[in-house]
Amino acid sequence: MKSFKNNPIVKKLGFNRIILFCILLLMYGVFSILIPGFAGMARIMSIFNYVYFLGFLALGVTFVIATGGIDFSIGPVMFCCALMAGYSMNTYGAPVIVSILMSIAIGLCFGTFNGYLVAFVGVPPFIVSMATMNIAKGLGSVFTQTQSVSWPQGNDPSGKGWFRGLVKIGDIPTGLILFAVAVVILFFVMNNTKAGRYILCLGSNKEAVRLSGVNVRKWQMLAYVICGTMAGIAAIFFVSAYTTVQPGLGDTYNNEAIASCVMGGTSMAGGLASIGGTVIGVFVISLLQEGIMAMRMTKEVQMIITGLIVIVFVYADVSARRRKS
Amino acid sequence: MGEVILQMKLIDKSFPGVHALDHVDFSLKRGEVHALMGENGAGKSTLMKVLTGIYTKDSGSIIFEGKEVEFHNTHHAQEAGIVIVHQELNMIGDLTVAQNIFIGREFKKGFMIDDRKMIEESKKLFNELHIDIDPRARMSDLTVGKQQMCEIAKAISHKAKVIIFDEPSAALTEKEIEDLFAIIRDLRKQNLGIIYISHRMDEIKVITDRVTVMRDGSYVGTLITNDCTKEDIINMMVGRVIYEEPKTHSMVPKDAPVVLKVEHLNAGKMVQDVSFELRKGEILGFSGLMGAGRTETARALFGADPKQGGSIYINGEKVTINSPEDAVRHGIGYLSEDRKRFGIVVQKTITENSTLAALENYMAGLFINKSAEKDVTVRYIRELDTKTPGPEQLVVNLSGGNQQKVVIAKWLVRNCDILIFDEPTRGIDVGAKNEIYKLMNRLASEGKSIIMISSEMTEILRMSDRIIVMCEGRKTGEIAIEEATQEAIMDKATRDIK
Repeated sequence: MKSFKNNPIVKKLGFNRIILFCILLLMYGVFSILIPGFAGMARIMSIFNYVYFLGFLALGVTFVIATGGIDFSIGPVMFCCALMAGYSMNTYGAPVIVSILMSIAIGLCFGTFNGYLVAFVGVPPFIVSMATMNIAKGLGSVFTQTQSVSWPQGNDPSGKGWFRGLVKIGDIPTGLILFAVAVVILFFVMNNTKAGRYILCLGSNKEAVRLSGVNVRKWQMLAYVICGTMAGIAAIFFVSAYTTVQPGLGDTYNNEAIASCVMGGTSMAGGLASIGGTVIGVFVISLLQEGIMAMRMTKEVQMIITGLIVIVFVYADVSARRRKS
Repeated sequence: MGEVILQMKLIDKSFPGVHALDHVDFSLKRGEVHALMGENGAGKSTLMKVLTGIYTKDSGSIIFEGKEVEFHNTHHAQEAGIVIVHQELNMIGDLTVAQNIFIGREFKKGFMIDDRKMIEESKKLFNELHIDIDPRARMSDLTVGKQQMCEIAKAISHKAKVIIFDEPSAALTEKEIEDLFAIIRDLRKQNLGIIYISHRMDEIKVITDRVTVMRDGSYVGTLITNDCTKEDIINMMVGRVIYEEPKTHSMVPKDAPVVLKVEHLNAGKMVQDVSFELRKGEILGFSGLMGAGRTETARALFGADPKQGGSIYINGEKVTINSPEDAVRHGIGYLSEDRKRFGIVVQKTITENSTLAALENYMAGLFINKSAEKDVTVRYIRELDTKTPGPEQLVVNLSGGNQQKVVIAKWLVRNCDILIFDEPTRGIDVGAKNEIYKLMNRLASEGKSIIMISSEMTEILRMSDRIIVMCEGRKTGEIAIEEATQEAIMDKATRDIK
């Protein structure tokens, strides 16, 4: 076991991530055996649908958690983006491309707002994101007069349904390609750019980074901006897969995104983050959701399980740190 | 003075790498005020922590009221009647005075807290001590002096027999100190034993009956205050043995230009009107006792803390430094006294720490040029002789001395010309210490200018070309190395009666 852990390839990939990946495969196997008809392309496509939007949320929040912060507003922000952009399209006749850009812009605004309050004003991230969560829910409801918003179907006669090609063209899961591109970009941002370096270092010891002459506020804020923008992008993938968005919801996805991060090895204490780990975590959560639905259990069961996952993995992280120090 | 109430015999305590207390003796009588003196790191606080159960002693015995005792925590010591009044106040600002005094042992009326009784009891206590404080006042509305009085009242309310004052006057005004002394005299009359830790020579003469001096974790001797002079005490504190050869003359050429000039720097209470000059290739020592304002001066200069006034000139040009970012841009690097909190990112690699202050020089477009980064890190590992398996090692796994080298490397990678070394050898073993000294001398000879803050007299005398002494936020002296002696420095570092 020890020699396996010290193998250079294993070290590069991360022992915990390999284990998590094995868990993912094992879960798929178990579900396939327990649930008749679970194995097969249809399920996998359905899992992918969930992976896309949850993936963008989780990738974004990975940056915030890396700074030692937290963002509980991403789920509702995603819904708020989808609601406002969709409502603008349906009611005011905005072109699809404008709506898509609008969704991303709204996410960016929320992220900037959160980041400014945390980094420059000094409000604790927990409080800021709790408040923003409610603002996003409220804003989405007010803007749409508390009506659900449906984005055009793929076969919509107006031709507005083209954006669904972002997710799927025929049987080709194009969304997977876009997601993979985003993963690669964000992997490099986290590991090979100044932004990622400073975000990780300030998450570990903000004061030491500040005393090295780095403008820590700017970089801390950037993490929230990335996170908000990702929520705006996630909104597009959400409506591409599921069409209808209801106001006042979205908070369950916070926990699922955060669970994906902590499973993947991103530390809630900040300073340590793994983009690859987050991706595997997203697949685990998406598979879990699909399996639970297939077993005819409710979404609430899944909420219990994701809640427990967060606790277990945070405990594992905390106790690992304690052992080290 | 009565019989002996407390006796500590041959107390010994070691921490990894440090022999903190070397068979120390100490005895305290009823009705006496006994001063405990020594330089920073002499072991005073450690001795008191052993007494009150914060640390467990390795050997030796504590005899309290005729019986051998061993306390396991402060609570345990408190119950026996030994109470410590800390330098930093342990009060909760939003509670009232009475609530603070009885915290953890509130009077109850059924399930409810009986506030009225706590207020009455507090009043009684204050009357006994002749203190005029309203027990209903919020703690944060009181002055530091008054808060200290409350802390004392709290101590008394524990039926204390021995009270330890750990630098009680550090934050007090003249008037408050007088009030404090009145209380201490009162307590002495009531036959309590009082241990008084302070750096202020004049106070020792005024308030104490005996003085015990410690040095380097050892007991040096005990004097009767009335029979000794300030010089006697200072001589005992510094000792006559000098372990390392002091520098005999300044290494700085006579015509070396002034690289840094600080004029009338003010920042809070701890930095008051500090002015000095630093020349190219100079090691400027900052000496003084704990709380003299040296670190605060450095932090204000570096832009880490806000300042209220003062001008800074670098190479003759006036500069504005409002943040560490500004300071680093002007070529100043700061090695903090608290390496782990302010110096390094422990969970990151040597490489990531080394380039932290100069990352923009290691970029290839948007991306970090990892191979260039690695090259420079390896270069400084070799140059500073940092002991590590490689540049990818996490800093947390290095020893204190090697961590310090990583911090130094960070500023060398940034190519800073002015380096502030704040307690550069704190928590570093002797061998590594010498290496850091050699390195500092080399840097100075290469034309870097160094400000070295140190609480170790031998370090100051060995390294500095010139010495600035601070006391209570002010610069109290500037001594050329040729004229510097431990006594001369200590004289300027301790407060005199005005």
